[in-house]
Amino acid sequence: MSDGTNRPDAALERLLELDPPAPAENGALFDQMFSEMKSKCEKSDRTLAGFLRSRSTMVRRSIVFSVFAALAIVGWYAFPLVDEQGRSAPWVASLIAFCVLMVVAMLMVTRPVHLPALPRWQAWLLVIMAVGATVVAAFWPLPAAQADAHAHDGGIMAGACMGVGLLLGVPVYALLRLVDRGNALGNLVAAAAAGVAGNFVLKAHCAVPGTAHELLGHASVAVLFVVGLGLVHRWIPSEKRA
Amino acid sequence: MPLSSLDTSATDEELMEAYVGGNDGAFRLLFERYAPILLRLTRRHLRDEELAREIVQQTFFRLHGARNDFRRGSKLRPWVMTIAMNLVREHWRRKKRRKTVDLEVDTQPSPQPELTPMELRQRSELLYVALEKLPASQREVVELHWFQERPYAEVAEIVGTSEGAVRVRAHRAYATLKQLLVSEIRGDE
Repeated sequence: MSDGTNRPDAALERLLELDPPAPAENGALFDQMFSEMKSKCEKSDRTLAGFLRSRSTMVRRSIVFSVFAALAIVGWYAFPLVDEQGRSAPWVASLIAFCVLMVVAMLMVTRPVHLPALPRWQAWLLVIMAVGATVVAAFWPLPAAQADAHAHDGGIMAGACMGVGLLLGVPVYALLRLVDRGNALGNLVAAAAAGVAGNFVLKAHCAVPGTAHELLGHASVAVLFVVGLGLVHRWIPSEKRA
Repeated sequence: MPLSSLDTSATDEELMEAYVGGNDGAFRLLFERYAPILLRLTRRHLRDEELAREIVQQTFFRLHGARNDFRRGSKLRPWVMTIAMNLVREHWRRKKRRKTVDLEVDTQPSPQPELTPMELRQRSELLYVALEKLPASQREVVELHWFQERPYAEVAEIVGTSEGAVRVRAHRAYATLKQLLVSEIRGDE
């Protein structure tokens, strides 16, 4: 027995005697188990997901970070940002908060499986914070001065923003699922990250003012991702995988 | 470290390094070493032979996926045990969730026959019954510390808590187990 395994009560030694004998464990059983498992490994290795998941954690994180950074940089320069007037402190704070949430989500999703699983409340906390951040950001809309300059109907534009946000979140969700080795609630965390990613782009580029617009067109993206994908995964449990 | 010829006396870590280096035979040897241990562990936790085998296979599947994270100097056993315990815990969470949904059905009195302590002994179920009454966090500590004979420090690493917390859980678990077993044997229940 290894050091440090001093059992607290010698009488409990009898416990082991009560441990039922194992059913026949023969070589054939383990041969079969091994060949089944090995063929599953080989099948998985031939897929993109299997390839990405079998990269080291540092490589997986670098891939995700690079893709996030590339998308952010391309988006930042390819599309016009909100006017100078709109770039207030709350606007910057919202963008930073979204970035931090995405990085935390990435770290959770790419957590190595040989470490103890994170408590589920931490995943739920991140999901709540992600949705909460998008709602709070909606209450920091563009300044009134800029709002006067726009004659858009916030309600109509909300649909367009929601569509764009959902579209932008899909690759983020897909990427996070591809590198996830099977963390509990990884799907919800990825959904929250996708919602936040959509909100990041919308917050940076959408010039439509108004809390109502941001609630309907921006925050709804995160809610739809989390609720929609959460329900899908609850109703259609994903196949056990690693 | 790639092994030129498979050596059954190689350590787990050497085998894992060989596997990371592309030696498939080393993975086979690791499976032969760990699968029986894991199968007993998962049987005790799940009491379902088929599910226990599935979890063992899943453990190795995940080990295969995580192989590139293995670093020289790391110990393999905590890796394997942590992966297996994570899977077992996840299984119980899913099962608990399903149970909550099926509460109405579950509230019916279970048709379990009243077994005497002797019958329980004969059926070698006494220990399982007592273990099942422990909270999952204590049960996994007993499993690793008692049955797998791992030191407290390693158990703490596997379950993801401090050594002190593991000692407290173990102390409570053994006290509860002792109490349960004594009461079962005396037929107090």
